[in-house]
Amino acid sequence: MPVYVDINRCIGCRSCEVACKNAHSGRSYVEVKVIDHRASVPVMCHHCEEANCTLACFSGALTKDGARTAFDIHKCTGCGLCAMACPFGVVWTDKTAHKCDLCGGAEIPACVATCPAQALSKDQEVAAKRARARAAVAAVLGGRR
Amino acid sequence: MISLDSTKCIGCCSCSNVCPSKNITREDVGARRIIRYKACQEFCDICVESCPGKALTLAAQGEDVEIAFDMVRCEVCGAPYATEKMLDRIRTSIPADLQVDSTGKSWVGICPMCRRDLERERAARPIIASRGR
Repeated sequence: MPVYVDINRCIGCRSCEVACKNAHSGRSYVEVKVIDHRASVPVMCHHCEEANCTLACFSGALTKDGARTAFDIHKCTGCGLCAMACPFGVVWTDKTAHKCDLCGGAEIPACVATCPAQALSKDQEVAAKRARARAAVAAVLGGRR
Repeated sequence: MISLDSTKCIGCCSCSNVCPSKNITREDVGARRIIRYKACQEFCDICVESCPGKALTLAAQGEDVEIAFDMVRCEVCGAPYATEKMLDRIRTSIPADLQVDSTGKSWVGICPMCRRDLERERAARPIIASRGR
Protein backbone atom coordinates (compact mmCIF):
# COMPACT_ATOMS: atom_id res chain seq x y z
CA MET A 1 0.00 0.00 0.00
CA PRO A 2 1.56 3.31 -1.03
CA VAL A 3 1.61 6.61 0.82
CA TYR A 4 -1.43 8.65 -0.20
CA VAL A 5 -1.07 12.41 -0.60
CA ASP A 6 -3.80 14.95 0.12
CA ILE A 7 -2.45 17.88 -1.87
CA ASN A 8 -5.07 20.21 -0.38
CA ARG A 9 -3.30 19.82 2.93
CA CYS A 10 0.34 19.99 1.84
CA ILE A 11 1.98 23.21 3.08
CA GLY A 12 5.24 22.66 1.21
CA CYS A 13 7.42 22.50 4.33
CA ARG A 14 9.44 19.58 2.98
CA SER A 15 9.48 17.85 6.37
CA CYS A 16 8.76 14.59 4.53
CA GLU A 17 11.95 15.03 2.51
CA VAL A 18 13.97 15.51 5.70
CA ALA A 19 12.30 12.56 7.43
CA CYS A 20 12.98 10.40 4.37
CA LYS A 21 16.62 11.49 4.32
CA ASN A 22 16.98 10.60 7.99
CA ALA A 23 15.45 7.20 7.39
CA HIS A 24 17.56 6.42 4.31
CA SER A 25 21.13 7.48 5.12
CA GLY A 26 21.00 10.95 3.65
CA ARG A 27 18.92 10.38 0.53
CA SER A 28 15.35 11.43 0.05
CA TYR A 29 12.93 9.51 -2.13
CA VAL A 30 10.26 12.18 -1.82
CA GLU A 31 10.50 15.42 -3.76
CA VAL A 32 8.35 18.42 -2.94
CA LYS A 33 8.03 21.40 -5.24
CA VAL A 34 5.79 24.44 -5.23
CA ILE A 35 3.71 24.90 -8.37
CA ASP A 36 2.75 28.38 -9.47
CA HIS A 37 3.17 29.78 -5.90
CA ARG A 38 -0.20 28.26 -5.06
CA ALA A 39 0.14 24.53 -4.43
CA SER A 40 2.91 22.24 -3.27
CA VAL A 41 3.05 18.63 -4.31
CA PRO A 42 5.20 15.82 -2.95
CA VAL A 43 5.94 13.01 -5.41
CA MET A 44 7.17 9.57 -4.46
CA CYS A 45 6.86 5.95 -5.55
CA HIS A 46 3.24 4.96 -6.19
CA HIS A 47 3.97 1.28 -5.62
CA CYS A 48 2.07 0.54 -8.84
CA GLU A 49 0.14 -2.70 -9.10
CA GLU A 50 1.69 -3.41 -12.50
CA ALA A 51 5.03 -1.82 -11.73
CA ASN A 52 7.02 -0.94 -14.85
CA CYS A 53 10.24 -0.84 -12.85
CA THR A 54 9.85 -4.52 -11.92
CA LEU A 55 9.25 -5.37 -15.60
CA ALA A 56 12.39 -3.50 -16.66
CA CYS A 57 14.63 -4.80 -13.87
CA PHE A 58 16.71 -7.67 -15.23
CA SER A 59 18.52 -8.60 -12.03
CA GLY A 60 15.48 -9.22 -9.84
CA ALA A 61 16.31 -6.34 -7.47
CA LEU A 62 12.85 -4.80 -7.90
CA THR A 63 9.95 -7.11 -7.15
CA LYS A 64 6.35 -6.91 -6.05
CA ASP A 65 6.05 -7.88 -2.38
CA GLY A 66 2.29 -7.86 -1.93
CA ALA A 67 1.14 -4.30 -2.54
CA ARG A 68 4.63 -2.96 -1.94
CA THR A 69 7.27 -2.60 -4.68
CA ALA A 70 10.27 -3.95 -2.81
CA PHE A 71 13.88 -3.20 -3.62
CA ASP A 72 16.89 -5.40 -2.84
CA ILE A 73 20.02 -3.26 -3.06
CA HIS A 74 22.29 -6.33 -3.03
CA LYS A 75 20.94 -7.50 -6.40
CA CYS A 76 21.03 -4.04 -8.03
CA THR A 77 23.75 -3.30 -10.59
CA GLY A 78 22.79 0.32 -11.16
CA CYS A 79 21.89 -0.11 -14.83
CA GLY A 80 19.23 2.61 -14.57
CA LEU A 81 16.57 0.80 -16.61
CA CYS A 82 14.09 1.11 -13.73
CA ALA A 83 14.53 4.89 -13.66
CA MET A 84 13.80 5.02 -17.40
CA ALA A 85 10.79 2.69 -16.96
CA CYS A 86 9.11 4.71 -14.21
CA PRO A 87 6.37 6.93 -15.71
CA PHE A 88 6.54 9.26 -12.72
CA GLY A 89 10.32 9.56 -12.50
CA VAL A 90 10.42 8.50 -8.86
CA VAL A 91 13.25 6.01 -9.11
CA TRP A 92 16.67 7.63 -8.82
CA THR A 93 19.89 5.89 -9.86
CA ASP A 94 23.60 6.37 -9.47
CA LYS A 95 25.68 3.34 -8.52
CA THR A 96 22.45 1.63 -7.49
CA ALA A 97 18.77 2.46 -7.73
CA HIS A 98 17.09 4.47 -4.98
CA LYS A 99 13.38 4.49 -4.35
CA CYS A 100 10.73 4.59 -1.63
CA ASP A 101 10.62 1.23 0.18
CA LEU A 102 7.88 2.35 2.58
CA CYS A 103 10.61 2.34 5.25
CA GLY A 104 11.13 -1.37 4.84
CA GLY A 105 7.46 -2.14 5.23
CA ALA A 106 7.19 -0.35 8.60
CA GLU A 107 3.73 0.23 10.05
CA ILE A 108 4.00 4.00 9.54
CA PRO A 109 6.68 5.34 7.15
CA ALA A 110 8.83 8.24 8.36
CA CYS A 111 7.25 10.77 5.96
CA VAL A 112 3.72 9.94 7.14
CA ALA A 113 4.74 10.10 10.80
CA THR A 114 6.41 13.48 10.39
CA CYS A 115 3.99 15.40 8.12
CA PRO A 116 2.78 18.30 10.31
CA ALA A 117 -0.21 18.98 8.06
CA GLN A 118 -1.35 15.35 7.95
CA ALA A 119 -1.24 15.52 4.17
CA LEU A 120 0.33 12.08 3.95
CA SER A 121 -1.38 8.93 5.08
CA LYS A 122 -1.42 5.21 4.54
CA ASP A 123 -5.22 5.25 4.33
CA GLN A 124 -6.63 5.88 0.86
CA GLU A 125 -9.97 6.97 2.33
CA VAL A 126 -8.61 9.91 4.34
CA ALA A 127 -8.29 12.31 1.42
CA ALA A 128 -11.67 11.26 0.01
CA LYS A 129 -13.41 11.79 3.37
CA ARG A 130 -11.91 15.27 3.68
CA ALA A 131 -12.97 16.14 0.13
CA ARG A 132 -16.54 15.08 0.94
CA ALA A 133 -16.48 17.17 4.12
CA ARG A 134 -15.22 20.21 2.20
CA ALA A 135 -17.94 19.74 -0.41
CA ALA A 136 -20.57 19.54 2.34
CA VAL A 137 -19.32 22.74 4.00
CA ALA A 138 -19.26 24.48 0.62
CA ALA A 139 -22.86 23.39 -0.04
CA VAL A 140 -24.02 24.74 3.35
CA LEU A 141 -22.22 28.04 2.84
CA GLY A 142 -23.66 28.37 -0.67
CA GLY A 143 -20.40 28.08 -2.51
CA ARG A 144 -18.42 30.38 -0.21
CA ARG A 145 -15.35 28.96 1.41
CA MET B 1 39.60 -10.76 -19.51
CA ILE B 2 36.38 -9.82 -21.15
CA SER B 3 35.20 -9.33 -24.68
CA LEU B 4 32.47 -6.90 -25.63
CA ASP B 5 29.74 -7.48 -28.20
CA SER B 6 29.08 -3.87 -29.15
CA THR B 7 25.80 -4.75 -30.91
CA LYS B 8 24.34 -5.97 -27.61
CA CYS B 9 25.67 -3.22 -25.33
CA ILE B 10 22.91 -0.76 -24.42
CA GLY B 11 25.20 1.76 -22.75
CA CYS B 12 23.68 1.49 -19.30
CA CYS B 13 26.95 1.34 -17.32
CA SER B 14 26.06 -1.58 -15.07
CA CYS B 15 29.55 -2.92 -15.72
CA SER B 16 31.33 0.27 -14.71
CA ASN B 17 29.20 0.45 -11.56
CA VAL B 18 30.03 -3.05 -10.40
CA CYS B 19 33.70 -3.40 -11.48
CA PRO B 20 35.64 -3.68 -8.21
CA SER B 21 38.97 -2.71 -9.76
CA LYS B 22 37.72 0.24 -11.83
CA ASN B 23 38.86 -1.32 -15.11
CA ILE B 24 35.63 -0.18 -16.71
CA THR B 25 34.96 3.52 -16.64
CA ARG B 26 32.22 5.69 -17.97
CA GLU B 27 32.39 9.28 -18.99
CA ASP B 28 29.46 11.47 -19.95
CA VAL B 29 30.61 14.46 -21.96
CA GLY B 30 27.71 16.60 -23.05
CA ALA B 31 25.38 14.37 -25.02
CA ARG B 32 27.99 11.68 -25.55
CA ARG B 33 28.65 8.69 -23.28
CA ILE B 34 31.96 6.87 -23.54
CA ILE B 35 32.57 3.55 -21.80
CA ARG B 36 36.18 2.31 -21.66
CA TYR B 37 37.21 -1.27 -20.97
CA LYS B 38 40.79 -1.81 -19.90
CA ALA B 39 42.24 -5.21 -20.75
CA CYS B 40 41.98 -6.48 -17.19
CA GLN B 41 43.98 -9.25 -15.57
CA GLU B 42 41.37 -10.18 -12.99
CA PHE B 43 39.72 -13.55 -12.65
CA CYS B 44 36.28 -12.24 -11.94
CA ASP B 45 33.06 -12.14 -13.91
CA ILE B 46 31.00 -9.63 -11.94
CA CYS B 47 30.54 -7.36 -14.97
CA VAL B 48 29.56 -10.33 -17.14
CA GLU B 49 26.90 -11.33 -14.61
CA SER B 50 25.63 -7.76 -14.27
CA CYS B 51 25.15 -6.96 -17.96
CA PRO B 52 21.46 -6.55 -18.83
CA GLY B 53 22.21 -6.95 -22.55
CA LYS B 54 24.53 -9.96 -22.09
CA ALA B 55 27.07 -8.07 -24.14
CA LEU B 56 30.07 -9.17 -22.10
CA THR B 57 31.72 -12.59 -22.10
CA LEU B 58 34.87 -13.92 -20.54
CA ALA B 59 37.70 -14.27 -23.03
CA ALA B 60 41.16 -15.74 -23.01
CA GLN B 61 42.63 -12.62 -24.56
CA GLY B 62 41.53 -9.06 -24.59
CA GLU B 63 42.56 -5.53 -25.37
CA ASP B 64 41.45 -2.03 -24.44
CA VAL B 65 38.03 -1.37 -25.92
CA GLU B 66 36.02 1.80 -26.09
CA ILE B 67 32.36 2.23 -26.97
CA ALA B 68 30.50 5.50 -27.41
CA PHE B 69 26.82 6.40 -27.47
CA ASP B 70 24.90 9.51 -28.39
CA MET B 71 22.55 10.33 -25.55
CA VAL B 72 18.89 11.02 -26.26
CA ARG B 73 17.71 14.48 -25.28
CA CYS B 74 14.57 14.97 -23.20
CA GLU B 75 11.59 16.14 -25.24
CA VAL B 76 10.74 18.72 -22.58
CA CYS B 77 13.97 20.15 -21.15
CA GLY B 78 16.46 19.02 -23.79
CA ALA B 79 18.92 17.52 -21.33
CA PRO B 80 20.62 14.28 -22.42
CA TYR B 81 19.38 11.50 -20.14
CA ALA B 82 19.66 8.01 -21.69
CA THR B 83 20.93 6.07 -24.68
CA GLU B 84 18.59 5.16 -27.53
CA LYS B 85 19.20 1.47 -26.87
CA MET B 86 18.13 1.81 -23.23
CA LEU B 87 14.89 3.46 -24.31
CA ASP B 88 14.39 0.76 -26.98
CA ARG B 89 14.69 -1.81 -24.24
CA ILE B 90 12.04 0.04 -22.18
CA ARG B 91 9.76 0.14 -25.23
CA THR B 92 10.09 -3.62 -25.72
CA SER B 93 9.97 -4.74 -22.08
CA ILE B 94 6.88 -2.78 -21.05
CA PRO B 95 3.37 -3.38 -22.48
CA ALA B 96 2.38 -0.64 -24.95
CA ASP B 97 -0.64 0.48 -22.91
CA LEU B 98 1.64 1.25 -19.95
CA GLN B 99 3.89 3.44 -22.09
CA VAL B 100 1.36 6.25 -22.32
CA ASP B 101 -0.06 8.51 -19.62
CA SER B 102 -3.78 9.13 -18.99
CA THR B 103 -3.91 11.58 -21.92
CA GLY B 104 -2.41 9.03 -24.32
CA LYS B 105 0.96 10.77 -24.50
CA SER B 106 4.11 8.64 -24.40
CA TRP B 107 6.45 9.44 -21.50
CA VAL B 108 9.43 7.35 -22.63
CA GLY B 109 11.06 10.31 -24.42
CA ILE B 110 10.86 12.52 -21.33
CA CYS B 111 13.60 12.55 -18.67
CA PRO B 112 12.75 11.44 -15.10
CA MET B 113 13.09 14.98 -13.75
CA CYS B 114 10.52 16.32 -16.22
CA ARG B 115 8.28 13.30 -15.60
CA ARG B 116 8.17 14.31 -11.92
CA ASP B 117 7.41 17.93 -12.83
CA LEU B 118 4.60 16.88 -15.19
CA GLU B 119 3.17 14.58 -12.55
CA ARG B 120 3.19 17.40 -10.00
CA GLU B 121 1.60 19.83 -12.41
CA ARG B 122 -1.15 17.35 -13.27
CA ALA B 123 -1.86 16.82 -9.57
CA ALA B 124 -1.76 20.52 -8.69
CA ARG B 125 -3.93 21.82 -11.55
CA PRO B 126 -7.37 21.22 -9.93
CA ILE B 127 -6.12 22.56 -6.58
CA ILE B 128 -4.73 25.73 -8.16
CA ALA B 129 -8.00 26.25 -10.03
CA SER B 130 -10.00 25.94 -6.80
CA ARG B 131 -7.68 28.28 -4.92
CA GLY B 132 -8.34 30.90 -7.57
CA ARG B 133 -7.49 34.59 -7.20
